[in-house]
Amino acid sequence: MVQGNKAMSKTTESTVSTTCGYCGVGCRLEVHPQDGVIASISPAMDGPANKGHTCLKGRFAHQFTRSDERLTTPLIRDGDGFREATWDEAFERIVSEFTRIKSEHGPNAIAGLASSRATNEDCWAMQRLMRAAVGTNNIDNCSRVCHSPTSFALRRCFGYSGATGTFNDIEAADAAILIGANATEGHPVVGARIKQAAINGMKLVTVDPRRIELADYAELHCSMRPGTNAAVILGIANVVMTEGLTDEKFIAERTEGYEEFAALLAEYPPEEAERITGIPADDIRAAARIYATAENACLIWGLGVTEQRYGSEVVQLMCGLAMMTGKVGRLGSALLPLRGQNNVQGSSDMGAVPDTFSGYRPVSDEAVATMFEERWGTSLSREKGLTIPQMFNAAVAGELKSMFIFGEDVAQTDPNTTHVIHALESLEFLVCQDIFMTETTKYADVILPASAFLEKHGTFTNAERRLQMVDVAISPPGDARTDFDILTSLSAALGHEMNLATPEDAMEEIAALTPVFAGVTYERLGRDGLCWPVEADGSDAKILYAETFANDNGLGKFNALPYREPGEVADEEFPLILVTGRRLQHYNAGTMTRRTKNLELLPSDWLEIHPDDAARLWINEDDLVSVRSHHGRIEIPARITDRIEKGNVFTAFHFPELRTNLLIGDSVEVNTGCPEYKVVAVDVRAMSEAPSDTPALVAAD
Amino acid sequence: MQVMIDGNAVEVEPGTTLLEAIQGSGGHVASLCYDERLDPFGACRVCMVGVEGAPGPLPSCTTLCREGMEISTTDETALRVARAVVELVLSELPEAPGEHTALAVVAKQLNVTKTRWTGAVHEKDEDLRHPYLAFRHELCISCGRCVRACDEVQGAFALTVTGRGFSSNVAAGVDSGFAESSCVSCGACADTCPTDAIVELRLLELAIERNGSGE
Repeated sequence: MVQGNKAMSKTTESTVSTTCGYCGVGCRLEVHPQDGVIASISPAMDGPANKGHTCLKGRFAHQFTRSDERLTTPLIRDGDGFREATWDEAFERIVSEFTRIKSEHGPNAIAGLASSRATNEDCWAMQRLMRAAVGTNNIDNCSRVCHSPTSFALRRCFGYSGATGTFNDIEAADAAILIGANATEGHPVVGARIKQAAINGMKLVTVDPRRIELADYAELHCSMRPGTNAAVILGIANVVMTEGLTDEKFIAERTEGYEEFAALLAEYPPEEAERITGIPADDIRAAARIYATAENACLIWGLGVTEQRYGSEVVQLMCGLAMMTGKVGRLGSALLPLRGQNNVQGSSDMGAVPDTFSGYRPVSDEAVATMFEERWGTSLSREKGLTIPQMFNAAVAGELKSMFIFGEDVAQTDPNTTHVIHALESLEFLVCQDIFMTETTKYADVILPASAFLEKHGTFTNAERRLQMVDVAISPPGDARTDFDILTSLSAALGHEMNLATPEDAMEEIAALTPVFAGVTYERLGRDGLCWPVEADGSDAKILYAETFANDNGLGKFNALPYREPGEVADEEFPLILVTGRRLQHYNAGTMTRRTKNLELLPSDWLEIHPDDAARLWINEDDLVSVRSHHGRIEIPARITDRIEKGNVFTAFHFPELRTNLLIGDSVEVNTGCPEYKVVAVDVRAMSEAPSDTPALVAAD
Repeated sequence: MQVMIDGNAVEVEPGTTLLEAIQGSGGHVASLCYDERLDPFGACRVCMVGVEGAPGPLPSCTTLCREGMEISTTDETALRVARAVVELVLSELPEAPGEHTALAVVAKQLNVTKTRWTGAVHEKDEDLRHPYLAFRHELCISCGRCVRACDEVQGAFALTVTGRGFSSNVAAGVDSGFAESSCVSCGACADTCPTDAIVELRLLELAIERNGSGE
């Protein structure tokens, strides 16, 4: 008998096991509905990632599902507002506009965004809708703006786009370096696992411009200047090399390109790394020794690494650090990216990206494209489509006429908000599919009411590459429909019948068309899920690369990539660097958590500023301050804390009224177009008077 | 190594507790302070079992298996101790525990329907300041599960047991409520609490209430 969980099923009608729809940890939940409402949620004792635990988002923040603000009927633009419409009307409108735009400008004048909060099957249907029904590879998802650099780098160095192990590596590790991730707030259950591991003796090194909570449990905390991650890793790798802490056998047998890598490392002795990063040379030496001398050690990172100009290069350097010490491919030695959203791994795995089909196979690959064409009975484009930032640029340039945005609030979450809004306004026709009105739906022509994760069936893939079942606990409200139903029906209306009646049919198609998912079936996923690649016989891969890497020749690739300055640096006009991130109580755009009592726990945000900077700028605790960047200006109360380094300021992005992303510019990651959210030069000053009546949404000159 | 559980031979790894061995072989022992997510604590004295040669019943959660040990989950002395403990626990509560609670389930398993002891019961002492979590201090049995869940699962170190004897109870921070403590609202305490002394507010009722007043 399970002693831990309350026997909630005795007090509610039923219990539904599903997977959490918040962050990428992938907690398994037991949902207890009553009279069509969620009464309570408890963690599944056998959840592989959460082991009987969950955070305040997964457990408590579910009331948004029955918010009065849920969209319950399709809406069509009517002057400055919207009028209610039937599904038939909404579909007719979309079909006629898409058809008109296609005939006038071709299919590439239309673009779609899949939702990383939706299921694999939803994302599959979305990319198929764009590729087969519309006829374009203009399909992307929000991993573009978070971990696309991780995906790029891991594919380039190791072969597969995903963590090399699972969260079980954390407890098995003797040491870990956590870089650019505030895990106890952004990924609370994994944060708790890291903290417990550290309490139980794992030597933790935290690398972050803020003294995050886990730094208090670390053997060593290193505060680097934002944007200098590459120099941190190069410095650590230099020490590993010069102190002879390398795994020569692993380097010789399993990898290629080490000589060039080693030659580059010679340029980054700890003193040089200190000059660039601000981390004392001895701390860099200590970090290197902790990592390299541990029998098993993990590298764990978040968006603090990727949302930077050279994010994908830093991840490649981290792959190099792991390979030169032989710390990949066995329990306790893993590279673990903390994926931001519940299915941001899966949405890209499904091919909801402009350059690859499912399983990261290029759209230009003739054999793969032909296989898809045969299955779908239509011809497909071999041309790469547009990434999210390219879509907005194309819209402003008048080349992109229409977008279908499924479950993403780009007008709040994407960088350079002014530009995004300009793009949305430039479109001739915008369709939004969402569960609430958002900043983005304000610009829509048609809004389709969709479903929350507690209302649908399918699978999510967490940060461990683990596909897990998602099940229906309650029904969508009013006339809202499941995303899968909407997308497959719309595709049929556009003339492409998918013949996928259920999400399970979609998974059969995914498995049939994608070798890395060959053996995935709902039955096999069961309660424990499966970590892809999944062989046809159903065997999965908790640990990748135990014998060989998944590259063409099976060898891990060292890439010699030097440190380069971030896209923005502090200067006289903008002397501080703004870093953005998450707060524990809220989640991304806040669409869900702000409609729960989590808002009582954290009703508003603030700007964190170091006491010395605050004193110099005559800023007192709770003073309203103006934060201005090259791109925009916001107003926000200040809080003074020495958890942030002098010269840096920090705020989150959960509150639309603050519009943090007005401040973020066009600087993007060099290989993937991921925006540089984490390094923004700003000018902060106290507001001399009461807050102005000027709306914050005004771009700076 | 091998142990005998109720006459059946069971293979176990060294370091296995009696409780783990019993559960692993499909058996059952009632317990109050045990939670598989937490280190064994040995506070409640409900998971007592008989062991051949031992001077008396032993707590199965903190006793390690030894080669050849003969364990009885139906030992009358052990069950009498367990029942007496549950009766004592119940005697302090102002009301019977909710049917869904672990305490109610354990009482049922041990056939404890009422308590022989009368005397002081805890006075009602609710703390409803947190949006999701409520303290009902009168139901606290000082088993320490919430404190350990907070420490060992979440690592927030927000909860502590205060007071001595009959007055001992659980507190957040310096008894300042969840919000003023280092609590991160994960709910692990409510999840493990065997009596609803820490309980998730009835979200369903709240939703109905809000909808009613929102009209």
